Amino acid sequence: MSDLGVVMTASGCHFQSHPSCGYPAPGIENFYFKPIFTIGGFEFTKPILLMVLAAVIVLLVFWLAFRKPKMVPRGIQNIGEMGVLLVRDQILRPQLGSRGDRYLPFLVSLFFFIWLMNLWELIPVAQFPATSKFAFPVALTLIVWVTYIVIGIRHQGPLGYFKNMAVPPGAPWWILPLLAPIELLSNILVRPFTLAIRLFANMLSGHLLLLVFSVASWYLFSATIGLLFAAVSFVVFLLVFVLEVLITLLQAFIFATLTAFYISDALIPAH
Amino acid sequence: MTTSGTGRGSKHDPDPGMPREGTGWAVVSYLIGGMVLYGGIGWLIGRWTHIDALFPIGLLLGIGLSLALVIFRFTRFTRP
Repeated sequence: MSDLGVVMTASGCHFQSHPSCGYPAPGIENFYFKPIFTIGGFEFTKPILLMVLAAVIVLLVFWLAFRKPKMVPRGIQNIGEMGVLLVRDQILRPQLGSRGDRYLPFLVSLFFFIWLMNLWELIPVAQFPATSKFAFPVALTLIVWVTYIVIGIRHQGPLGYFKNMAVPPGAPWWILPLLAPIELLSNILVRPFTLAIRLFANMLSGHLLLLVFSVASWYLFSATIGLLFAAVSFVVFLLVFVLEVLITLLQAFIFATLTAFYISDALIPAH
Repeated sequence: MTTSGTGRGSKHDPDPGMPREGTGWAVVSYLIGGMVLYGGIGWLIGRWTHIDALFPIGLLLGIGLSLALVIFRFTRFTRP
């Protein structure tokens, strides 16, 4: 501890870049950006730019891949087909079976859009996950929420769908009055809420972790023993980075899987 | 591609009651729902009647009921 203290005081100001010379701890202020430009009061910020870029890239890749589809795929069509098959066989089919294939375009775009928005976290220069701004997961969740409720009403009728959402299958009748409110609340409110929070919180914490360790390895870097601390911090940064590679994919996967799960619940009555 | 028509359950589709990847998250959302609902009701009545114990009692009741719900909903399919 005293070693660390000595190093801190000896080398804390060696970059002279921070006014107080203390450790510039990353915090929630790192998630707010100055607008790049403003149109009529609407501030266009970096997360919005990243979101637009993600949408454009996903559109472009799939448009190029399936512009002139051939029986024997070549070049980018291979990548496009791999992506579509990944979503179909790993996400859609296990939840919905072959009847869910009409929702494949929705799930493919959802999955790759979210994945790319997460992936910005790890790409230099961008290095910010757009999904760690709460508005993006909320908007995506609203789309999913409206989708599965509309599907449910169309396939089971308003009353049938309401009954399916409120009455848990398998429960004896005398406990139903106590259980039905839980089922209803969990289906209507908790599901979309947790869907948005899960994506948002995972990306926010991941970005914060990367910030903490990258800033620490910069801050501790010096020609003294501090180099050791910087090295340790950098190793942790690399480990977190690898973890985040996994998490960006996993969160997009979970979001799409749960969307398929909710659609299947709306499509097929659970009893 | 059996998307049109009556569209209610062909034999090749997954049984909606069987545990799937979403099942674990469904259980979590039941537990949260039960706690929020009955904890909230307990808290409200406790505020009204000035009995503080009603909030934790409501929470426990909510957890118990959501566990019952999970058991009813996800265990019957394992029986032959």
